[in-house]
Amino acid sequence: MTTPPPGRLLVHGEAPPPLGRDLTVIGLPLDRRDALEKVTGQAIYSSDMSLPGMLHAKILRCPHAHARIRRIDTSRAAALPGVHAVLSLENTRGWHTYWYMIAQPAFPEELAYAGQEVALVAAETVDVALAALALIEVEYEVLPAALTPREAMAPGAPRVPVLDVERPRDGNVQQPVYVRARGDVARGLADADVVSESRFTLPTQYHVDIQTRCCVADWDGERLTIYEASQGVWNVKRELARSLGLEEDRVRVVVQNMGGGFGSKAGAQRVVHYAARLAMLAGRPVRLELTRPEEFLSHPRRYAGEVTMRLGARRDGTLTAIDAEIVLDIGSGSLYAGRYTMTLHQISELYRCANVRVRVVAVYTNTGPTGPQRGVLDPIATFSTEAAVDDLAARLHMDPLALRMKNYAEDFQGLDDTTPPLPYTSKHLDACLAAVADAVGWAERDRLAADATGPKRRGVGIAAYCIERGGYAPFSAKADVVARPDGSVEVQAGVVEIGGGQITILPMIAAEELGLPAERVDIRHGDTDGTHYAPSSHASRITSEVGPAVLQAAATVRARLFELVAPRLEVSPLDLVAAGERIHVRGVPERGVSFRAACALMPGPEIRATGSRAPNPDDVIFRLFGAHGALVEVDVETGELRVLRIVCAHDIGRPINPKLVESQQHGGAVMGLGYGLYEEAELDAKTGVLLTPDVHQYRVPTALETPAIEARNVESEDAFYPYSAKPVGEAPLVGVMPAVRNALRHALGFGIDALPLTPARILDAIAARKGADAR
Amino acid sequence: MPVVASTRHVALTVNGRPRALEVAARRTLAELLREDLQLTGTKIGCNRAECGSCTVVLDGRAVFSCSVLAVEAAGRRVETVEGLAGPAGLHPLQEAFIEHDAVQCGICIPGMLMSLKALLDATTSPSEDDVRQAVGGNLCRCGTYPNTVKATLAAAAALRERAAAAR
Repeated sequence: MTTPPPGRLLVHGEAPPPLGRDLTVIGLPLDRRDALEKVTGQAIYSSDMSLPGMLHAKILRCPHAHARIRRIDTSRAAALPGVHAVLSLENTRGWHTYWYMIAQPAFPEELAYAGQEVALVAAETVDVALAALALIEVEYEVLPAALTPREAMAPGAPRVPVLDVERPRDGNVQQPVYVRARGDVARGLADADVVSESRFTLPTQYHVDIQTRCCVADWDGERLTIYEASQGVWNVKRELARSLGLEEDRVRVVVQNMGGGFGSKAGAQRVVHYAARLAMLAGRPVRLELTRPEEFLSHPRRYAGEVTMRLGARRDGTLTAIDAEIVLDIGSGSLYAGRYTMTLHQISELYRCANVRVRVVAVYTNTGPTGPQRGVLDPIATFSTEAAVDDLAARLHMDPLALRMKNYAEDFQGLDDTTPPLPYTSKHLDACLAAVADAVGWAERDRLAADATGPKRRGVGIAAYCIERGGYAPFSAKADVVARPDGSVEVQAGVVEIGGGQITILPMIAAEELGLPAERVDIRHGDTDGTHYAPSSHASRITSEVGPAVLQAAATVRARLFELVAPRLEVSPLDLVAAGERIHVRGVPERGVSFRAACALMPGPEIRATGSRAPNPDDVIFRLFGAHGALVEVDVETGELRVLRIVCAHDIGRPINPKLVESQQHGGAVMGLGYGLYEEAELDAKTGVLLTPDVHQYRVPTALETPAIEARNVESEDAFYPYSAKPVGEAPLVGVMPAVRNALRHALGFGIDALPLTPARILDAIAARKGADAR
Repeated sequence: MPVVASTRHVALTVNGRPRALEVAARRTLAELLREDLQLTGTKIGCNRAECGSCTVVLDGRAVFSCSVLAVEAAGRRVETVEGLAGPAGLHPLQEAFIEHDAVQCGICIPGMLMSLKALLDATTSPSEDDVRQAVGGNLCRCGTYPNTVKATLAAAAALRERAAAAR
């Protein structure tokens, strides 16, 4: 089963004919095309927009973790000179906002968390808006709150009034509770010579996009135009149209630049709905920008998780059972449509094992909403699996890398009847592990402990990952390529450039297919006018889903140009090739015409072709693989942990632009470093108020903490992806935390099972360990 | 009720050009640049001197413009990202940021560049640690830091070459 079916480019209709020559653009480390306007300060973000007559909106937020609004009176605010519109439950009953098409009550009577929106005001200035908020009278009935999954699952717990109101639930537990299995885990545990049990605590993580959420909404009485910082113009357009009861063509969404998304801006955010509705009420453009503390209070942050892992193994290391229980804190709403299957498969598929059971329980709490963040649930699943494997290796007195290779899984094994066993499109995780081991100095690992002097200890750790990426429903991405008589070429794609290089990659694909240098191809992007539907720039999906559509469209334009040129050269179109800004007879470069001359032959104003991405086939499975390694140094007297090196090897297929791939690797590693070592939020245990709503207390990594990050990627062919380019947006984060944790385990001789690995947590663990040893 | 703000006359030099305007006494330098002069290259990410997006150079020193009052800048020389490129073209830092891909979403880049401009104005031979210290107050959530360091050292080398060629 290890040979996948022959790969094919995933497009609707006929696959484009081969280029008939070597690649000339794909694989070049080109500069990103938006870099110039970004380094000169000319790039315009939504927060830089200013429209004539624009009003400014501010939000009144609930101060309680759980409360019911007994009475609200906005009349004094509305009467304040300079106030043009007020929103609250008084004038919006029944109104829903949407995110990933998940309906949320816009202004519920019962509020779920401290910081939830209660009312908004749009006024001439921010000062007037703030003064108006102070005039809104709200009488709350304060209710008991459940701030943790443990509290929320306790008998008699208060019922959390959630945002994702349409999801089934049982008490505070979202339904269904996922239990997936293969084999018989009880027998697998009974058959084991060693059973290693570990419990892990993974914290939430905040996105901390450096641009705070900001929307400018403009309603002209007929049509709504939204200038946003969103990862997807089409998602916003559809969700907003549904929320406001407008036909889709009456909503235009524009995102030319955005200051960080990382999953938190993947759909239509609540601020966009509020700004739009205020603009429609006031009849003037409205700007709504969140402050940094508001960002922390209200945006859908990463899920926190408590994980129990039991691994059973024979003395030789053969895994006999994997038993995992995950309790997720989904706050006051899981704005991700419950894709918990992501967690299941990463645990069940990373290693060969006949008996697996994974249970995922998602629990509502009286805290802010949760949603996707770079890697979504991959970090929880991967950290737990990979930390547990190192704990098992210690029990078995085995080398952790050898234990991993002993249980290497060639194929997707599947879980009960929901997913059958299948071959992967391609898998080279073994080569990734070998590359990381080599680069991180695995062979000299034992010497590190022997070399330790004073309070400093060094350790090396490794972690692998297997994550679900490579295309998602609805598989309906489309893109156009247009050539004009003057020889100009434009890609038209409804994608947003979020910093990943999306608008650099897509023109490179069109340029390759047309035999042009990349800079000869323009791109229209970040605007629902003049483009087709494309998914949000999330889930690492633009190159693998929009890429094939662009490739197909460009190849179709090429074929039309060949038909125009062929009669002039007295050959068949099949004998032509596009290369070096020319269209010529294959093998005879001098017999041809320039690309521009070919375009001048077109009878109309343009040649336009549309490409579209087909669904993933069901006889092969799409997953990404790779490994991280870390070298760390810990001071056992101060608890300070320093990551000296991070090494990664991703099974990436072939990079379209290696310079951009490297940047993704840096970004993932740095965010993973924050998750693993520094980023810690604190809620007041009595009131549920967030005590750390700023980047002074909630510490994200700076240049000072960032170590050397080295890549030893493994390249290979995988014809299910355009030019074999596998996704790279999120994977570079996933293995960082477990690699660092395992390196610290190596340095200390025991594992710490909660993140982040702050000095306080490390010192506490060392003290607890000493206490246990003394008893 | 909103406070009626008292205003002050402020004259200052922005990117080499003299500017004079009436500003509210409590207006920050960042607000003056963005709202009064439409120089939106300077960004505001936290408005309390924690993220560094608003960094500009004031009389040769990198400062968080969200935490400098506009009136404090009176009579002084302000440099922003819009003034970084000269008539001869891009500043070596800008060229190196493009070449070494020290830019992703781009929102922190104006602040990064101005912190580094102040550094390279002070020395064209910074160590790697000097570079990291110079941007220690500039948060980049895209994690461009390794390329920030690489690009800055390359820009410093270009400035040294330029100086050598001029001698």
